[in-house]
Amino acid sequence: MIADLLLFIFSLAALPLAGRVSESARRWIAPIAVTGLGIAAWSAACFLAQSQIFPTPWESFGAIVELAQSSRLWNDITASLFRVTWGFGLATAVGIPLGLWIGWSARSFAALNPLVQGLRPISPIAWIPIAILWFGIGDLSAVFLIFLASIFPIMVGTTAAVQNIPQVYVRSAANFGLTGFDLFRRVVLPAAMPQIITSLRIALGVAWLVIVAAEMVGMQSGLGYLVSDARNMGKRYDLVVAAMILIGLIGIVLDVLVRQLQNFDEVRWGFAKR
Amino acid sequence: MSASSPGSTASKPKVVFEQVAKDFERRGEPLRVLDPIDLVVDEGEFVCLLGPSGCGKSTLLNIAGGFEPPTTGRVVIDGEAVNGPHPRRVFVFQEYGIFPWASVWDNIGLGLRELPKEQQYATIQQTIDLVGLTGFEKSYPMELSGGMKQRVGVARALAVSPDVIYMDEPFGALDSLTRLTMRAELIRIWQTRRPTILFVTHDVDESIQLADRVVVFSPRPGRIAGIVDVDLPHPRDLGTQRYGEIKNQLYELLGVRHAV
Repeated sequence: MIADLLLFIFSLAALPLAGRVSESARRWIAPIAVTGLGIAAWSAACFLAQSQIFPTPWESFGAIVELAQSSRLWNDITASLFRVTWGFGLATAVGIPLGLWIGWSARSFAALNPLVQGLRPISPIAWIPIAILWFGIGDLSAVFLIFLASIFPIMVGTTAAVQNIPQVYVRSAANFGLTGFDLFRRVVLPAAMPQIITSLRIALGVAWLVIVAAEMVGMQSGLGYLVSDARNMGKRYDLVVAAMILIGLIGIVLDVLVRQLQNFDEVRWGFAKR
Repeated sequence: MSASSPGSTASKPKVVFEQVAKDFERRGEPLRVLDPIDLVVDEGEFVCLLGPSGCGKSTLLNIAGGFEPPTTGRVVIDGEAVNGPHPRRVFVFQEYGIFPWASVWDNIGLGLRELPKEQQYATIQQTIDLVGLTGFEKSYPMELSGGMKQRVGVARALAVSPDVIYMDEPFGALDSLTRLTMRAELIRIWQTRRPTILFVTHDVDESIQLADRVVVFSPRPGRIAGIVDVDLPHPRDLGTQRYGEIKNQLYELLGVRHAV
């Protein structure tokens, strides 16, 4: 309780401070202070509700430490990352070429877009029985579900990116005699690249979002499995919340990583403020 | 209709418009934007197409460039009808025609892909020096000012030593001082290399400063209201009496009173 009070006071004190310090410091102080206030509010709510089951922030952080001390945590994280890497990687490898093709050719767009738009709204959760039927219980099913979740944002984003290429670039290319593969490599792909990167960013977020659902296909490892396992085995809600916090933190790291793609010289123009 | 410009003897027709007309479709109805145009542009000539916006002058340029087909008529260059863009006849667009994902160097090298490496290097460097971009070879367009970006656009066109350059209000997005500098440089380059230039503008002064001949268009549907020879030597003095006379003539053809 004393820790909560201190946290609350420090966070509140830090907020006005954020207005006066340098730009770079503010980028850190404000979010940390807001998170601190959130944790304090969470703790206060637990105290008021006197719940025996729902964990306080400190119990949840304790659970993270407990997980970290067992060998299990590292195992679960790598298992989840492994599945997301494969699912997302395959979706990228298939989705970008398909999106480029559908975006460039009006005929393939007319033929394929209705099907894409029809498949897109089907939740990956609805695919779970079919995933198990096709791929059995195991990594393959989870990878398939993550693949399904992330291919549509990539495909649709890439299609739109190609369709939005300004006519003046296409005309310039035609004027200088660019055709075929050269046209694709020198104009279509680079012109679409910033928007493709944005769609990759969205897709990776979605891929990580469905990890919990994807590991409900009878997996025996992973952060998603940890959530359902902790609930089933003796209602360890502190472990449930701990896993949720870890999923969120790793999500931030993944987004920061994929955002690094925006810094390449060839695509910086697409992210500059105009 | 239009004879070649009187001052130049032994001139050879380069770009010939034969009854070129264009209709656009609007809600199922054909909308005439260009009445049949006949015009002969000689080799090495600098011709400005001057008119209000929407008079079809840019459309005419796009037809000559091979980006749009005419509804009727044809454009003949070197005795052959135009049926698509051609690497020897290069377009300079108003804005953003250069590729933002490529460096200045790579943008200018776009039309030189077929040349041997050494020749590519020499030509690119020479063109960069010509347009005054030395030192910016590795820069990206977003790091350049508007005037420098348009220099890249002009350099990209010049690098292939084109026969014909089409310019669609290339300096329209620049501030008036930069515009003056760019015009002077364009004339300098044109005098060294003598390509045929078709230059679309709605700026009366710009057309007098640049062109051998100014072709004035009437508003929609576009037709040629008149052709004015600019018989002034370069560099042109904006203060001379003759300049004023030509200016009055152009305003009269445009049907605009310029005394405000």
